[in-house]
Amino acid sequence: MAGMRKGARNEPDEGKALAGFGRYAGAATLIMSSLADGVKHGYALTKDIESFAGVRISPGTLYEALARLESQGLIEAVDSDDRRRPYRLTAAGAVALKAHLDAQRRVADVGLSRLAGHWGTA
Amino acid sequence: MNAAPGTPREATDRAARLLRWYPAAWRIRYDEEFTELLIADIRERPRSAARTLDIARGGIVARLADAGLAGLPVRAATAPGARDRQARAGLASLGCAAAVFLGFGAALWSQLTIGWQWAAPASGTATVATVVTSAAMLAFLALGAAAALPAACAVAVQAVRRPRRALTVPAALLITATTLLFVGGRHFGNGWPGTGGHRGLVPGGLAAFEWATSLSVSAYWAHPGALAAFPAAELAWMAVSPIALACAVAAAATLVRRTEFSPRLLAFEARLGTVACAVMAVFLAGCSCWVATGGQRSLFHAGLIDVAGVTIMALAFGIAQRAARTARLGLGFAGR
Repeated sequence: MAGMRKGARNEPDEGKALAGFGRYAGAATLIMSSLADGVKHGYALTKDIESFAGVRISPGTLYEALARLESQGLIEAVDSDDRRRPYRLTAAGAVALKAHLDAQRRVADVGLSRLAGHWGTA
Repeated sequence: MNAAPGTPREATDRAARLLRWYPAAWRIRYDEEFTELLIADIRERPRSAARTLDIARGGIVARLADAGLAGLPVRAATAPGARDRQARAGLASLGCAAAVFLGFGAALWSQLTIGWQWAAPASGTATVATVVTSAAMLAFLALGAAAALPAACAVAVQAVRRPRRALTVPAALLITATTLLFVGGRHFGNGWPGTGGHRGLVPGGLAAFEWATSLSVSAYWAHPGALAAFPAAELAWMAVSPIALACAVAAAATLVRRTEFSPRLLAFEARLGTVACAVMAVFLAGCSCWVATGGQRSLFHAGLIDVAGVTIMALAFGIAQRAARTARLGLGFAGR
């Protein structure tokens, strides 16, 4: 992850890399989060995302997001003899994911602290 | 023969059918891995309307992207030549949309200019519309020549250096169709009775040629009784000319998609496309102004066919704008 931190300093706008994904931003975040611990093919991605996020991404949406992420250089296909081609996160993708998740965490932290202050739940 | 329900063969067949929603280029890239995922998904969820709808929507989006109409917001396409392909797809779709726009625009414009051959319009809106659309048509002519000449040279050079059916067949179709349109337009334009000496805003021969080439855009199609009174040759021309125009446009778009243009020429064509969109907006404004006020009685009357024409032109204008943006995105100078 050292490369990710280095990239984050050099590319301050990487946090906006997912901004252009529109309705695919959610799927893109889930896919990149799933790939953060190693390469996975489409079916493994679907099952992993279902296990940690509780949502099942349909094949059409999954590959639309994969194509967009790949075209922007945030993920890349790995050469394989298997018909199920695996994907992995690129260094630029790791930087973009970290920046995006940091921003989401800040929002979550604010929401949770305000909930605790006004509703007594957190 | 269909495979038995629930068998691996049936899942494979259904995956293959679902894959047909996607364009050929997409299938070449993702065919095997996507099929494997679909087969696994079908085995887990044998019946799922949501999956079918999701794939249909994804396939349509992929087809629009392939046509340069819903291009990915690409900043750094990784595949070799991806940017140029996106730009060429955008330019080809822009050309198709511009052709539809001009097909209906020519019909409206010829109605105005033919009217002016007989008498100058009495209403201000018809006068403004005729002047504005005539100036826009002149700009279209200049833009068309500036865009077509270098592109035709590039196609010719590649067809001579490396002859291949992928270029020679559409080139031959384009030449045949445009020749047919020109000869037919001249022939039937010459049959127009004329005004006996009155001078219009544009030369009578040009107005008559436009009238003849856009003869198929006619409200008479809705009145078969009146249509039966037309000469057989004119009816045949009304049926053949739109087919010839469609063939010419499809052939030109195919050539643009298949020819390896230099980055400099692509950038030049994309900039011309942006200017063409601006001229379309001016032309559309002129026509809308005339149609909205109903023109005037007799020669400059704007009817239902003109309203339909302006509506189709507005749609074509929207598509052209989107295609021009996709081409610029592919070349990396969108927004400049």
